Amino acid sequence: MAKTNAIEVKNLVKTYGNVYALKNVDLNIADGEYFVLLGPSGGGKTTLLRSIGGFIRPDSGSVNIKGQNVDDLPPDRRPTSMVFQGFALFPHMNVSQNIGYGLKLKSIDKNVIENKVNKMMDLVGLKGLSNRMPHELSGGQQQRVQLARALILENDVLLLDEPLSALDAQLRKDMCIELKRLQKTVGISFVHVTHNQEEAMSVADRIAIIADGEMVEQGTPKEIYSNPKNKFTAEFIGEKNIFEGRIKDFNKTKVVVDIDNDNIEIANNNYKVEKNQKVSLSIKSESIQIKKMSKTNSKVSNNQIVGKISEITFLGQFVRYLVVLNNNQEIQVRSYEEIVNLKVHDTVSLSWKLEDFLLHQN
Amino acid sequence: MSLRDDFQPRWKLTLKWGWLSFAVFILMAPVFYTMYISFNELGFGAKYYIFTFQWYESVFSDKQLIGSLGWTMLLAIITLPIVIPFGLLSAKLYKQSQHKVGIVFVLLSPLFVPADILGSALLVFFKNLNKFFTLISEYTGIYALESWFDLGIMTAVIGLIVYTLPYVFVVIMITMARYKVEQTEAARDLGASAWRAFWEIEFPQIRAGVFSACAFVVILTFNEYTRTSLLKGGFDTFTSVLISQMLNTGMSEESYAMASIVSLVAIIIVSIILIVTAIKTEELEKITRVVKEPNK
Repeated sequence: MAKTNAIEVKNLVKTYGNVYALKNVDLNIADGEYFVLLGPSGGGKTTLLRSIGGFIRPDSGSVNIKGQNVDDLPPDRRPTSMVFQGFALFPHMNVSQNIGYGLKLKSIDKNVIENKVNKMMDLVGLKGLSNRMPHELSGGQQQRVQLARALILENDVLLLDEPLSALDAQLRKDMCIELKRLQKTVGISFVHVTHNQEEAMSVADRIAIIADGEMVEQGTPKEIYSNPKNKFTAEFIGEKNIFEGRIKDFNKTKVVVDIDNDNIEIANNNYKVEKNQKVSLSIKSESIQIKKMSKTNSKVSNNQIVGKISEITFLGQFVRYLVVLNNNQEIQVRSYEEIVNLKVHDTVSLSWKLEDFLLHQN
Repeated sequence: MSLRDDFQPRWKLTLKWGWLSFAVFILMAPVFYTMYISFNELGFGAKYYIFTFQWYESVFSDKQLIGSLGWTMLLAIITLPIVIPFGLLSAKLYKQSQHKVGIVFVLLSPLFVPADILGSALLVFFKNLNKFFTLISEYTGIYALESWFDLGIMTAVIGLIVYTLPYVFVVIMITMARYKVEQTEAARDLGASAWRAFWEIEFPQIRAGVFSACAFVVILTFNEYTRTSLLKGGFDTFTSVLISQMLNTGMSEESYAMASIVSLVAIIIVSIILIVTAIKTEELEKITRVVKEPNK
């Protein structure tokens, strides 16, 4: 059975003066889905999140939550809860008062509040800290209090605005696992804003890339990482191997792209292209094979480029080679094993499988 | 802010503290000297010192002085509930607005106008307003409007509001600067109305500033002479009476006693505010430190 939509955003527009923060954004988030809004800072993802939460009134467009139009509802009347970037705990209240504040506002019986607060503290791993003041907690614990405070209201949607940005790398990884576990336990939709690609990949069921107020692309983490349709997405998720060129030739199975007089042959993945059309190509650094060129194997084919190694960096799980091509473009090659005979300044050939290159329309 | 610098010679630090203590002494010495004289039965300039409370007893039996104290307290009490919400709203507006310089200019501008000029301007304004209302009352037959802007408590309170609002605004604004608006958003998100979010979340964190502002208003009301004298009429407020007594009879021992009482009350109030603010600041700094360095 198809999942119903928890959130439907239609044609959302928000401007600040002459600047568009959101340009006709459409978005559907399914019930029980962990959805991540990923993009560079200032791209509009927080504006979108705050529009869903009711903290910003958009210029036009609409937001439906669980089928109900919420355009005219303030935050306190929307079925959403928000986790804020800067923790936003109430410093004059202890942990249990912070968590129970939303229930207190609903005039719920004190004993019921106490029970629910205790259960929620168990769920987020805060057992035994009920009387601590916020300043007596670590960053991770403060974030858990925020989560508990938001989840205790049992709303349909949890909005998370860069919830892990103030934490260190290891704690961020742990909290990602924790967030995913929590989302599965409570079963509601989570909408998580981040500019961190790794964070997005590790928690999301689906990711939307947002930049310059526009929805660039949506898909599962695998689709976004392995098969980005948009050049911006390819660049943003960390792929620096982007080539600009023109279509030289194509048939049903192959496309040949002229890049500064080097021909790159790629598989035709039903691309709609024309001869001489400007396009971009991208390839993952781990999909490139690197090989030292000897004087005897100096012949170059259509799926091969020649360059010189400018830098070799050992990065723990893999080795990164920076290769400078004849046109001075720098290419990254990632190898999970160090290739013994390669040194800086060596001339190397780079090759790939036809299907590893992706074509993006400019 | 600390005066300490780990690399400076100790004598420099001693010199800085010495200079500060000297400045405070110079500022406060006349007040303490006034107190000293107020306990001398023989009064100012006497060769001998005989300790007594008699001048304080006389103060409390001086009906005119006590009456003027009452008038001034009444003005302060009426001014407070009007000017504090004004200041609070102005500070909130300042925090939310993108035109901060404009707001500061508008709110602080009464400070740049000399007291006697502002007082006389308001006096003329109220006189003309009174004429206008008298005219309206004659045309409409609603004679209650006739004396609306007669000099009295209302006009004096308006003058005090104009005078104290900049101070109230600045004091509350400073406290409010530390408050994170996200907390109000969090409260609203949890279901609080705008009022509850203010009262239960924001107010407890800016309370020290609001109380400081209240104390300022009371002290400024006692301190104010020109505007209150011009706008209230009757020259019966505390400072007016005290000054007129001094002008007529010179500084009497009673005046020393009264001045001592007022100074002592002001010093106590300000000390309490400073201590409470210092404690609160320390607490807030501790919180800020934890938020800035969250991964303990």
